[in-house]
Amino acid sequence: MSYQQNTYYSRRQQNWSRNQNTTRFVSAIKLGPVAHTILIALMITVLGLIYLTQATRTSGYGYEAQQIDEQISQLNEEKADLEIEKARLTALDTLKNSNVAREMTTPVSTEYVE
Amino acid sequence: MKLELQKGSRTRILAAAVLLIAAIFIGRLFYLQIIQHNHYVEAARAEQEKRFIIPASRGEIYAMNGEDPIRLVMNQTVYTVFADPATISEKDEIVKTLREVAGGNVRTGFEDLLDKDTRYEVLATKLTTVQRDKIKEKNFYGIGFQAVSQRVYPEGQLAGQVLGFVNAEGQGVYGLEGYMNDELSGTDGLLQAVTDVRDVPLTIGKDNIRVEPQDGKSPVLSIDRNVQAKVEQALAEGAEKTGATDVSAVVMDPNTGRVMAMANYPTYNPAEFNKVSDVALFNNNTISKPYEAGSVIKSFMMATAADKNVAHANDTFNNTDYIQVADRTISNAYKGVTGTITFQTAMQWSLNTGFVTLAQRLGDGQNITQGARQTMYEYYHDRFRLGQATGIQLANEASGRIISPDEEGGNAVRYSNMSFGQGMDVTMVQMASGFSALVNGGTYYQPTVINGYMTDDGMKAEAAKVLQDDVISDSTSAEVVEMLRTARQTGFPGIDKAGYLTGGKTGTSQVPTSTGYSETDTIGSYLGFGGSDRPEYVIIVQVSAEGKAYGGSTDAMPIFTDISNWMIDYLKLRPKS
Repeated sequence: MSYQQNTYYSRRQQNWSRNQNTTRFVSAIKLGPVAHTILIALMITVLGLIYLTQATRTSGYGYEAQQIDEQISQLNEEKADLEIEKARLTALDTLKNSNVAREMTTPVSTEYVE
Repeated sequence: MKLELQKGSRTRILAAAVLLIAAIFIGRLFYLQIIQHNHYVEAARAEQEKRFIIPASRGEIYAMNGEDPIRLVMNQTVYTVFADPATISEKDEIVKTLREVAGGNVRTGFEDLLDKDTRYEVLATKLTTVQRDKIKEKNFYGIGFQAVSQRVYPEGQLAGQVLGFVNAEGQGVYGLEGYMNDELSGTDGLLQAVTDVRDVPLTIGKDNIRVEPQDGKSPVLSIDRNVQAKVEQALAEGAEKTGATDVSAVVMDPNTGRVMAMANYPTYNPAEFNKVSDVALFNNNTISKPYEAGSVIKSFMMATAADKNVAHANDTFNNTDYIQVADRTISNAYKGVTGTITFQTAMQWSLNTGFVTLAQRLGDGQNITQGARQTMYEYYHDRFRLGQATGIQLANEASGRIISPDEEGGNAVRYSNMSFGQGMDVTMVQMASGFSALVNGGTYYQPTVINGYMTDDGMKAEAAKVLQDDVISDSTSAEVVEMLRTARQTGFPGIDKAGYLTGGKTGTSQVPTSTGYSETDTIGSYLGFGGSDRPEYVIIVQVSAEGKAYGGSTDAMPIFTDISNWMIDYLKLRPKS
């Protein structure tokens, strides 16, 4: 492999780009039209794959959202069931038949605190 | 080298054919993609995009438990289990699991349904989430679940006729459910989205729409579950003692117009509305069954006369047990308290003649003139709002009727009858509301069964609504309260808790028929109040049965007394200072 070396000596570069490479490499390889076509086709394929990946990921969010919705719905159902159970356990009929209620008696007399 | 095909050569023909086919393809693609573009876009959208209804939750209904709201009507998601008999493969295992898990929820003979030559058979209904999960665990092929929301009543049949129910079509009917159906239902939401083959909504698609549902309102009733339970119990016991088939009561806070209890016996459980064979049971008689008020109206008549300053409790009249009005002679039901007596005595013995006399004194003293009739109508109808729907938030409220003196039937005879409660139709809630204004100093509150609405931050209370604050004067109100207290304490001593303010008026109403009045049926009623320094509750009780005669003092008053004495304890009232 061979290369050409060109060196620039402008004052501006010396001042402003002191630490930059000042050497340019020019490849001797020349690509023909077939190679260019293949490269472009490959680039298009890669871009297509990237697009597909992103599109699939987006639709994947739909499934994720659906799963979360289902989970929320299920938890809400469980919450509602528990609330109903609580309401049944604190219903008047349940309380009246509880052991605590059975032990209660009517006060004989009542005094009022002034 | 330049490649040239020979004219007519096979290669040239092949090239032409290829070009032709390519041209046809291009033409066809042009037609499909350019000319028919919109058509196919729409077709694709119709196939890929689905619209889903996001159902709004029906509002729950709360009641008061003292100072705190508690749930009276709730929502529960239950499941219907269905099968596709053509695809099931484990029939025996399915039958066994359903028997074990679903128990009484399975349909009768569901085993045979699995052999049917159909694609959809319901096997069990109203399964809970836990039951569904247990069946789902088995992963049976051909078995599916459908979620259904149903109303749940933790307190059973408590206040059933106030609540109403939600029918099979999801519509609220009767009671509060019927009256507030639209507000309770809320507004369904909408999801329009591109879906996959399983109808799972995907986030792609520029036309996706999501409108969130607006859940229904959750009203908090003014009904106190403890008072309601007590009243229902008292009515059931009263019905048992008297043999009455219809017993009703309303308990109202006279200082706000809020209904604390409203009950009828018999009643029904809204959760089992489909088991009720007599649809009359769905009616709330306290608002939908007008009746002749009977002698309880005498307190209103006395208030009218006192407010117009034509007669007061200790004023006198000459009672002969009979009084002539036009061509009719009106007599007292209870006879013998004759001579010069006070209107207080007339109230105590419920003497019709005394109240006809009051009507006459509103006129020229001898006749129930047009002016007297106008005054009575103004007080009964316009001030106490009898004979017109109150606007209480319950379905099927009846208006009743009070005939105006300007109408053909509004003559002196009718108005003489109206002075003791005949010839006019009212409902119990009208009587309780008007009576509240009578005993609270003259303020008519809009009767209501709603205390407020439940929000995420707790109950948002609704203020009591005053419809008129000068129905009668304070002094008139105090005078009639004292009259009713005296009438009760002297007529029925020792039945109330000592030291409290209680009073009321009995009523025995005749039942109108197509030919006059029934000779066998009477309705017993009692309308009274209780409290400490001021009336804190108003109770109206009504007892009736077809073919039976009931009296206010013998049948309705004991129920009033039972509830009233209990209310004093429940409200923690201190004895009158």
